[in-house]
Amino acid sequence: MEKEASQLEKDHVHSVYEKIAPYFRDSRYKAWPKVQQFLSDQEPGSLIADIGCGNGKYLHINSQTYKLGCDYCFPLVESARNDGHEVMVCHNLCLPYRNECFDAVLSIAVIHHFSTQKRRMRAIKEMARILRVGGQIMIYVWAMEQKRRKFEKQDVFVPWNPSPPSWTLGNTCSCGIQKSIHQKNKSLALNQHSTKLAGALKAHRKVRSSSFSGEKETRHNLFEKSVRWSLFSRSLDSESDLNNQWHQGELNTFCSCSIQLDELNREELFEETRTGDFMKHISNVSLRCRRNSEDNASDMAVESGSSMLFCPGPFKKLTIEQQLEIDYHPKQDTDNDCAMATKNKQKQRNPNAACLRYYHVFKEGELVELIEHHVPELHVIHSYFDHANWCVIAEKIQVWKI
Amino acid sequence: MKLLTHNMLTSHVRGVRPGGGFPLRIQATEVKVNSVDFNQEFVARMIPKVEWGALVEAAESLGHLSDLPPQLPPEYQSNEDFLRKVHHVLLEVEVMEGVLKCPDSGREFPITKGIPNMLLSEEET
Repeated sequence: MEKEASQLEKDHVHSVYEKIAPYFRDSRYKAWPKVQQFLSDQEPGSLIADIGCGNGKYLHINSQTYKLGCDYCFPLVESARNDGHEVMVCHNLCLPYRNECFDAVLSIAVIHHFSTQKRRMRAIKEMARILRVGGQIMIYVWAMEQKRRKFEKQDVFVPWNPSPPSWTLGNTCSCGIQKSIHQKNKSLALNQHSTKLAGALKAHRKVRSSSFSGEKETRHNLFEKSVRWSLFSRSLDSESDLNNQWHQGELNTFCSCSIQLDELNREELFEETRTGDFMKHISNVSLRCRRNSEDNASDMAVESGSSMLFCPGPFKKLTIEQQLEIDYHPKQDTDNDCAMATKNKQKQRNPNAACLRYYHVFKEGELVELIEHHVPELHVIHSYFDHANWCVIAEKIQVWKI
Repeated sequence: MKLLTHNMLTSHVRGVRPGGGFPLRIQATEVKVNSVDFNQEFVARMIPKVEWGALVEAAESLGHLSDLPPQLPPEYQSNEDFLRKVHHVLLEVEVMEGVLKCPDSGREFPITKGIPNMLLSEEET
């Protein structure tokens, strides 16, 4: 299990960040006030470790303290370094620091990338190890309970979108897909069915423009409810999975962001379809698009562009023919906006799959429970919900061993 | 990598004796000195958090001992001359290229563009 977990994190956390790191520089960023406050509250002369610092967005706060950032992703760390910050490359499960040498530890949007409860617990324990008694740690993890994103499962894959969308609320979905397909600096690899999808979407837009005359919000809600992309989501923690180990083939399938879209093969259907019917036909597929709102941009745990895919159904239902692979190549600069990937590559590992980030979204109370049950050296002093994250501030206490 | 950062670093390679991974030996091929504004209170507050012997050893190995004494002098908090030297060693001397070597296992960690890479393989943890 440990190997699978580690491999999953390599494929769907580490390698994704490697790929998307160049796009973080212009990421929309606004320091979350409560994180800023936590850092500002630290005494002058404090030593602070930012574990998973990314490109160092929190390292400039409170110049009266010494902040040491670290991250697994070298390009992000390098970017932080170029901004003059002290940083290094390491793994959260094995921090290269002395015991109890920090006055405060920051863990923003990191723990949700560990794929088993044991690893999440170990990551927190490791951070507690480097914290001095009386020092405080702040932890932010993505919440399952979010206003705008509905997760059906706790273990999800979130595709990364290189550029934040700039369309209006009413255009959210179709533009989201349209943008995915036509955006420069990346190509979208689809199998043959993708043309059908693109056609379907155009058709849908056409239909929509004529048939939708209502409020933008109504359109939006309708579409939000109805359009569903499906993607696998399985927990490495669940017992059934223990007896049902992931095979490489399954993992590949799983990684390929496969979408059940057989209905979409019939383009004519869409040509004739009224919007309501379109939605009914596409109802197996779930899609969440980013919205063009300040708030939305700032409540992503990781502030890169992102939409969310999740899978309500078991992957066994899918056949190869039914799969549609949609992936970004953010580094690739090509004039071909839409690249067609032919089939019979199913045995191969899908390199594009790396743009799906793995998250374990936390339920209310889960983070506190994890700490209280497994990390006795931390005492939770405050827990709250902030920007779609569950958050904890905990203090290191002396645990007397008898 | 500043020497204040180095002072917090240790190696956790599998098999290292408890505490044996500290301090990491610095083998620098490029060292830079940057000017940083002096903040007396900051330095005075930082000193108790520093392993003094390791700092002196690191500074010496880089040829930047800057007259630091082997033992912390008494009442250093008000000794501006001393604090300025500590300030220089802690914050202004930076290792840009080189390696950090675990004193116990001999495992080397590269420093590239001022960034130490402390990653261990799964077999090493």
